[in-house]
Amino acid sequence: MPVSTRRALGAVVAALGIVFVALGAWMVVILGPSGEAQFSATSKALGAVVIPPGVLNAVDVPVQITATRPDGGPVSIVTAPSNDARAILANSAVTTASAVHFPDGTLDLHASGAGALTDLSSSDIWRLAAKSPGSAHLMVDQSKAPETAVVTSGDATDLGDVTVTLTWANRGWFFEALAAATIGAVLAVFAVNDLWQGRALAVRSDVGETKTSEATV
Amino acid sequence: MTPQDLISKAAAALRLSRQERQDLFTKAAEALRLTRQDRQDLTTKAAGVLRLRREDLIRIVHVLIVVVVGVCVFAVIASVPGWGATHALLGIHEAPNAGTTSAPLTVDQAKNILNRDFAASYLGQTTSGSASEAALRTAYTDQGLRGADGRVKLASVQPAASTSPLLVPHPQLLAVSRGFGYPRFIVAQTVTTDGSLPILHLLVSPDVATPYRINMSVEMVPPATVKPFDVLPSGSPLVTSGTGLAVAPDTLLNLYAAQMAFPAKAASKSPFVADSFSDQVRAGAAAASSAVASQATFTQSHTVAPNSVYAVRQADGDALVFGVLVRTDSFAVKSDQNVSTAANKAFVLLTGKKVITKSASITTLEFVIFAVPHSGGQSTLVAAREQVVAGSGS
Repeated sequence: MPVSTRRALGAVVAALGIVFVALGAWMVVILGPSGEAQFSATSKALGAVVIPPGVLNAVDVPVQITATRPDGGPVSIVTAPSNDARAILANSAVTTASAVHFPDGTLDLHASGAGALTDLSSSDIWRLAAKSPGSAHLMVDQSKAPETAVVTSGDATDLGDVTVTLTWANRGWFFEALAAATIGAVLAVFAVNDLWQGRALAVRSDVGETKTSEATV
Repeated sequence: MTPQDLISKAAAALRLSRQERQDLFTKAAEALRLTRQDRQDLTTKAAGVLRLRREDLIRIVHVLIVVVVGVCVFAVIASVPGWGATHALLGIHEAPNAGTTSAPLTVDQAKNILNRDFAASYLGQTTSGSASEAALRTAYTDQGLRGADGRVKLASVQPAASTSPLLVPHPQLLAVSRGFGYPRFIVAQTVTTDGSLPILHLLVSPDVATPYRINMSVEMVPPATVKPFDVLPSGSPLVTSGTGLAVAPDTLLNLYAAQMAFPAKAASKSPFVADSFSDQVRAGAAAASSAVASQATFTQSHTVAPNSVYAVRQADGDALVFGVLVRTDSFAVKSDQNVSTAANKAFVLLTGKKVITKSASITTLEFVIFAVPHSGGQSTLVAAREQVVAGSGS
């Protein structure tokens, strides 16, 4: 392999290694040993808060939903097949979590609709449910995806101020990030070392050629 | 473009004379050479200041460039959401599409619904007043509610609640609907411990906001059996037309209703096997007609209750068809006759009349379930039950 090609390849590998180290270390710090990523937002709009499958089923690990209202009133979290949830909320005012931002830990919320909330408690579409005063927690597995989670007061009363937090926990992410950082470090060290040695060899080679040329003359 | 070309173009733009342009070209070329020389000197001087060899300094600068490039790439990857690097690390992906061949209910959900409705049914039949009415409305729907109301009203003259087909533990879940359309259903079976006949239950949810409620609970007719349905996680399809069956469900029930009329009417070839239930109904009608022959004219009609027919496909392609017939017993009292109804306690309880002089009618619901083959052959009555629900007289 020509020296110039080898050096270019070494530079690319070194840069990649550094990227891996930076990304891996960054993820390790952000996720922590428990491998938790949290996303939170507060809805002030009246109505229900909806977490559609695009957010709820965006990962393959269980998602813990926590909903808290500061006035201590009842909070209900339910999940249903997305088709059913969409149908029962079709004419209701809802605030939808449309995206998560990592590592910012935020949720995008968009309010839509203006109709009164249907009393969701009588319907049989809900697979999982949790209700509690002040704050409710619900762990949603991914076995029945796509599903939609709905946060309400538990009846037809509108929620006006509720903070919703999604927690994704996967210890594997921590170890994957650690592995990426380690592999990146190894790559970077070997590539930089090769670059260093290669440059020295190239310089020595140049010097040798120059001396030979002078002797010929 | 070479530096010389660039200088020539700049000179042209500035409208310089040929001599001026030549001078400028020469000076610029010298300046470029000086700059290159100066750069080499600067590198050598910097290396001297840092007490390094010139080649080592160049190596260090190259490594630093690689590091800076790596950090910049990392920053771009981490800060541009559209590139999805962080999403890929967490395994974030598009949500899967909804399947059309799965059940909208889990087994646990279906069992909870059964237990809830059966408990409400029990309360409805063992309490009284508004509590009973509320419980029955929680448990039943449509003709099932009408039948349960009639049963409660006539509890004093009909079998007690302890023999109700609903007072049985541990319902066995047989089938749930497939897909996300409506209406949705649950089919269950209960078997009492006292050796009574097994009971088939049909629960229906008509729309997304309405819970499942009991549409009918019907005792099986010996020696009938129910063929298996598809596995619960995939659900069983609702048959919405007669396609793929020996006879369409609506047609079957209309023919069955017609052949039980009294006086009997000429009927075409039956798509169903003769059964003990219709035999008993016809025999009862004949007996009632004979008993009142001197005082009244008796007729009996059967019609299929609107929106009461449900057909559920079974694993082998056959279907279980549920339906409700409304039977009307009519008495036209002959002139100058007074008919005592005291012997018919249900009629007295429903109408408050012990004597009729003009006419009377009794409405009875007939809950029937048929096994319908997917190809040729006759349908078989699997379960049947009747419940008096209303009466009138004058």
